[in-house]
Amino acid sequence: MSWAVVARKDFQDAIRSRALWGLSAIFLLLVVGIAVLYATVDAVAQEPSALGLIFFVASSIGTFVSVAAIVICYKSIAGERESGSMKILLSLPHTRRDVIVGKVVGRTGVLAVPIVVALLVGAFVGTALLGSVAPVATVLFGLVGLLFALTYASVMVGLSATTGSTTRAAALAIGFLLVFEFLWDVVVLAVVYVANGFVFPVGAADFPAWVYPISQIPPSSAFVTSLTAIIPDAPAQGGTVPAPDAFDAFFATPWIGVVALLVWTVVPVALGYLRFLNADL
Amino acid sequence: MTAIELERLTKQYGEITALDGVDLTVEEGEIFGFLGPNGAGKSTTIDILLDFVRPTSGTARVFDMDAQAETLSIRRRIGVLPDGFQIYERLTGRQHVQFVVESKGVDDDPMAVLDRVGIADAADRKAGGYSKGMRQRLALGMALAGDPELLILDEPSTGLDPAGAREIREIVRTESQRGTTIFFSSHVLSQVEAVCDRVGILRAGELIAVDSVEGLREAAGVETRLKITVDELDDGDADAVRALDGVSRVSVEGTRLTVAVSDGAKTAVLNALESRGVTVRDFETDESSLEELFLSYTEGSA
Repeated sequence: MSWAVVARKDFQDAIRSRALWGLSAIFLLLVVGIAVLYATVDAVAQEPSALGLIFFVASSIGTFVSVAAIVICYKSIAGERESGSMKILLSLPHTRRDVIVGKVVGRTGVLAVPIVVALLVGAFVGTALLGSVAPVATVLFGLVGLLFALTYASVMVGLSATTGSTTRAAALAIGFLLVFEFLWDVVVLAVVYVANGFVFPVGAADFPAWVYPISQIPPSSAFVTSLTAIIPDAPAQGGTVPAPDAFDAFFATPWIGVVALLVWTVVPVALGYLRFLNADL
Repeated sequence: MTAIELERLTKQYGEITALDGVDLTVEEGEIFGFLGPNGAGKSTTIDILLDFVRPTSGTARVFDMDAQAETLSIRRRIGVLPDGFQIYERLTGRQHVQFVVESKGVDDDPMAVLDRVGIADAADRKAGGYSKGMRQRLALGMALAGDPELLILDEPSTGLDPAGAREIREIVRTESQRGTTIFFSSHVLSQVEAVCDRVGILRAGELIAVDSVEGLREAAGVETRLKITVDELDDGDADAVRALDGVSRVSVEGTRLTVAVSDGAKTAVLNALESRGVTVRDFETDESSLEELFLSYTEGSA
């Protein structure tokens, strides 16, 4: 359980990051603001419900976790290599795998703190204003939220493990955010545009079914979609690409979001580990 | 058993050869000084022992275990003070040592360790606020925690004042008395000269000499200067000394003789003077420092 020792040390270290606390404070205000907005302004939701609130908050959690994960994790491996603290860490009886696993777990724990706090506060405010609570949905929301935190921490630690330069690690992390979160809608539309013979899609019928899984590649999208799969009676969520029930294909299911999260959790960090394993420090 | 064994150890970074076929054996219980100018390959050697870096060819063994294949077993038995390390700015000194204790699965008291390296009063302060010397002490404490069988110290005196450097030497001697093997890497010669049983000199990736400090002196042909003050002196006395075996130079300044002599011939010089009726009032020897010796090796003039 050597990784657990690394994870604990890493959590103690990273939880003291001022940037994390700044971000978390903003995030908490955001969640409370959203909850109040949702519950009190008619133009936002005609029939506000505790379940509706969860999905209303979900996308801001997605954005918060992706940005916070970058701030907290981009230096996790590269920074220790660059500064030389890795020399202390690896002169102790830890394998490089222990270090990677410990980092992923430790930083997930750090991300989990603001998520859980915001969730509890959001649930409290929501209950106070709406007079109703969705306990099962809230707990499931929290669990999927933690999986999502693990996914992002894993991706970012994996990227950080590929390099000994924090500048390069930062570039990789920001590049990931740009391509897979902010620009992905454009990528999907471009793919559909080409596939349709250089015609932009107008209605749901213009989207081929295989576009749906592609649209679920961004971890934030996969997170929201996972929520619709896991939380009972959840409203289907559609964005640029229609909700899955618009397609007639076995893979057009919200569970594809869970698959995407799991793939993101495993693959990048495994590749980063292989790179780290063979690196001269 | 040998503590460290390097065989034909070679490391190339692209076109640059950091280590070139280094053979070295360090016995258990020894204090071994690993000497060389910066960039000679000392840190690369240590990095290979710790599996931070993989050799291009050759092998490195610690306690008869392969440095690459049995990394964890090795790390459990050694304590390391790395060169160019960084502490965790946001953790306290105590948390640092606690981390080592947990990592090694030992039950040392972190406070006792910090006390030993002289920073117990700063135990609960964040290490980010430590001075360079305190960081070095903290790292030394982390290396000592868990009572390792082999201590690898890479430039341990960095950032320390002379008193701090002397404390390090004392800790090294104490550890050695407990039976710990010490691999002491440094470019500061006086540090190594003062504590080490044997010394290896590395230059441009090649181990050019391994011997005791005295042995190195002899091998390099460095002589002792004998300064003798006498009551009276004439030319015949100086010539008599000059004629002795092992004496290479004699210069006279009033009643003071300076004689360059090999180690074994000191007494012969004094005897020769006294047998000629010269009274020796005072004499001192001025041994060449390892500094000169080291330069004579690394600059290639020896």
